[in-house]
Amino acid sequence: MTTTGYIGRRLLQIVPVLLFVVTVTFVLINSIPGDPVRILVGPAADAAAIEAARARYGLDQPLYIRYIRYVAAVATGDFGTSIHYGGVPVTEKIFERLPVTLLLLASSFTLAIGSAIPLGIFAAKNRNNGYDHLARITSLIGVSTPSFWVGLLLIIVFAYYGDLLPPSGLVMPWADPASVDGATSRLDVLATAASHLILPSITLGTLQMAAITRIERSSMLEVLNKDYVHLARAYGVSERTILRRQAFKNAQLPVLTVIGIQMTTALGGAVLTETVFNINGMGNLIITAVRAQDYQLIMGTTIFFAIVFVLGVLVVDVLYAVIDPRISYGGGAGE
Amino acid sequence: MPVSDSTAAVGDSAHTGGVADADERSAVSRTSQVVRQLRRNSASRVGLYVIGLVTLVALVTTIDADLFDYQFAATFWYHPENDPAGSTILLPPVGIENSFGTGTWAHPLGTDHRGRDVLVRLVYGTRIAVQVGLIATGIGMTIGTVVGAVSGYYGGWVDDVLQRFVESLYAIPFLILVIAIMSAFGRELGIAIIGVSITTIPVFTRLIRSQVLSVREMEYVEAAKAAGVRDRHIIFRHIIPNSFAPVLVQSTLQVGVNILIVASLSFLGFGVQPPTPSWGQMLAHSRQYMIVNPWFSLWPGLAILATVVGFNLLGDGLRDAIDPRSND
Repeated sequence: MTTTGYIGRRLLQIVPVLLFVVTVTFVLINSIPGDPVRILVGPAADAAAIEAARARYGLDQPLYIRYIRYVAAVATGDFGTSIHYGGVPVTEKIFERLPVTLLLLASSFTLAIGSAIPLGIFAAKNRNNGYDHLARITSLIGVSTPSFWVGLLLIIVFAYYGDLLPPSGLVMPWADPASVDGATSRLDVLATAASHLILPSITLGTLQMAAITRIERSSMLEVLNKDYVHLARAYGVSERTILRRQAFKNAQLPVLTVIGIQMTTALGGAVLTETVFNINGMGNLIITAVRAQDYQLIMGTTIFFAIVFVLGVLVVDVLYAVIDPRISYGGGAGE
Repeated sequence: MPVSDSTAAVGDSAHTGGVADADERSAVSRTSQVVRQLRRNSASRVGLYVIGLVTLVALVTTIDADLFDYQFAATFWYHPENDPAGSTILLPPVGIENSFGTGTWAHPLGTDHRGRDVLVRLVYGTRIAVQVGLIATGIGMTIGTVVGAVSGYYGGWVDDVLQRFVESLYAIPFLILVIAIMSAFGRELGIAIIGVSITTIPVFTRLIRSQVLSVREMEYVEAAKAAGVRDRHIIFRHIIPNSFAPVLVQSTLQVGVNILIVASLSFLGFGVQPPTPSWGQMLAHSRQYMIVNPWFSLWPGLAILATVVGFNLLGDGLRDAIDPRSND
């Protein structure tokens, strides 16, 4: 099977997955007690006003009709309108918040991958000595620590006591200088953006860093014990060349798997990080939506997250094949 | 203790006829080998001690809270309502001073924003973490294992349908899935457990399915099939027990992950509701008092960290003991 055929088949498999996600979300959301229309129109509204609002949002229809309508709408990219934000389309709200979360994710993953891969290799190279133990203990603590607690501690130390970095909010690097406090030039905006990004990125990136360090270390160790590496050593190839030329690339497949798994964790982690640092991203949007019982907004954001994740997994699977040509795109039950 | 559990499960599975007799002997000797390995590994010993302590505390506090309505806490432990001197809010730990006063031995770790003893609430918070962690992992593991075994054994359309189902569960970020479940069905302990169990299912389904795919072709399974043994029997008596080792390792690690999820839920306000104490909820409260009493933010996080480290140490140790080739 060709690469294009493989990608096509995988895209087709996504359809039932997303349909299931839409169904589960729809059922769950419609089980939430409480009436969003009442929250919307306020306690003073009379029965006629309530009914009018209900009809406007299509909530007067039976459940199965709403379900069919919703699935049909989602298929055309229409996620409905947000009651909480006064009738704004859900997609508009998502695309308004998305860049913030993407910036946070990109910066935390850069930090995590950039530090974890060298650290993991370094630990593997120094197996069982002091550096290795330090790296192992650090990553053990990293995977065992609640990220939001890391955030709280960072705020206490660096924002309140050290007074070095801002405790909340996020500034986009492409923001208009006039809209950013105390900024007169693009450079000021960039500096402000960076200073706001440091603590949230560490908070979100700690878990990823630790998980990637662990897998990088054990994967490198496994490759370094392979016969062909022993053979290269016997031929007098330097340890540096072995690490660079032979071991590194072959050790990256399991690392890629872990990075892929970390993507879902990171989406959940973004909810926590954005809460701790009061950042107006996707995570905060979901929490606001749940608190306000904004049906359409909860469903839209959840389904959107699922789409992002499913596509992310697809990208990882394709990358796999690029890194390791031995992996076939075979039919069968295997993935 | 999970180790002795594994002996029982592997042993039970083998009382089923001639095919499995050899398995039984090797399983028992392997288990004792694993136990010996674990004893030698000081990291997994520390893990076992931590888990033992935390489980004991959770057991005692659960009995007190559920059967005696916190009588033990009220009688033997300091209770702010019973303090004639009144309770000071946001006291720092013993010997340290802040704008509210100096910490005393009456409250070794200080008090919270309502003057309640932080140590007592920390101890009672163990209950929620351990209950959800252990029970949810148990339920998720059981369902996930059965689904994965069936999926891998039958293959074909059964596998396709089950795999799409599992992928769907995987596709919704687990934190958001549990939040949606809890908003829909209530913010109670039972619902939290069900929610976290559901997010745990895919982890085990994937794991066991890949195991089954390799075990399915083994000679003893072929032999059982040829002898006309029923499918259900093959799955539950041969395939699942033989995939037991990786499941045991993953369960131990998963308890840690689930404890982190519970804490995150409570932190966001979707966990067990006050006044029942939980670690995540204490951290959520402490957020508002980070400047005046930063100590309040320290303890619940340390409790979570220590507990999860315990499960991770044991999980890593088990993996090393079961698979001596692994270098981690």
